[in-house]
Amino acid sequence: MKLERKAKLLRIHFGESDVWHGKPLYRAIVEKCKELDIAGATVFRGIEGYGASTLIRRAHLLSFSSDAPVMVSVVDSEEKIQQLLPFLDEMLRDGLIATSDVEVVKYVHQEGARS
Amino acid sequence: MLKQGPAKKICIYVGEDQQYHGQALYAAVLDYLFYRGVSGASVIRGIAGFGADHKMHTARILRLTENLPVKIEFVETPEKLDEILPKLHDLVGTGLIEVQDTTILKPSQASEGDKPDGLLPATKRAAKAKLMRIYIGENDKWHDKPLYQALVESLRANDIAGVTVYQGILGYGANRRIHQQKTMTLSHDRPIMLSIVDTEEKLRAFTPILDDMITQGLVVLSDVDIVKYTHTVGQPKNESKETK
Repeated sequence: MKLERKAKLLRIHFGESDVWHGKPLYRAIVEKCKELDIAGATVFRGIEGYGASTLIRRAHLLSFSSDAPVMVSVVDSEEKIQQLLPFLDEMLRDGLIATSDVEVVKYVHQEGARS
Repeated sequence: MLKQGPAKKICIYVGEDQQYHGQALYAAVLDYLFYRGVSGASVIRGIAGFGADHKMHTARILRLTENLPVKIEFVETPEKLDEILPKLHDLVGTGLIEVQDTTILKPSQASEGDKPDGLLPATKRAAKAKLMRIYIGENDKWHDKPLYQALVESLRANDIAGVTVYQGILGYGANRRIHQQKTMTLSHDRPIMLSIVDTEEKLRAFTPILDDMITQGLVVLSDVDIVKYTHTVGQPKNESKETK
């Protein structure tokens, strides 16, 4: 796996309780990224927020049913990100997708050589 | 801040049970007024009333759920009112909005105790900077210490403006292994992201240190615009005016 210097950062914002074909949407997105051989994806859970639906999403303490805001952050080449977008279009019902330019400073893993 | 003289008084009548995006409508209106800098507003609950639907709403003993009338009242300058009225129209929906001319005899004053001593109003500074994100694993170590903690200490020692560590709930990276938080287990290897904002030179100067510390992970840089609010402590007020 190699990353060029110029890359794209993709951020997808939605709710933790969003579901895609019976599994959490965030997991479905990470699995899709892996399937497309995208360099990496990370899911973050927010503690509070609001978005497309303007409903305040909040992680409830001591409860298992929460709808905290979730953000998936993906970094890869523009080309790879473009490959992923049509799938996201289909999967995301209520949320936000944003991309920005980033410069890769370092991308290393123990087994592989440094790029 | 209101001044003595002519102003407008606005009354909005809604039902206590009316909802706006999952929140009580009167609370939504009050929040809007608050965050748009309206100088003050009161919500008054009626004990009985009727409106456009000609239904009587009353608070009878032993009836706990009734759609009681709620009145939101505030006084503002005509200019401010013009600014916020379109949004109020949207918010209030079926409710009633009324405006009347009024005269302010004595404006209310914020109590002195509200502002911390010696703090001037926040100043806004805009500038260009770089945002650096570092993606690592929670279990990554550097000299027997969690890597994220070592990075924060190292950033601090190198006078980098600020850093925040985020913990992800799921992810994979360079080594293709899925990092996931398992419920009810004590050994996690969750994804970690550090977000750092500073000038380009300072971040570039720091990268060689990163090279030594990070053996596996991703570091990306992007352009950001800084909009920073800072408090200057203890400066005489006239001096800050001159610098403007």
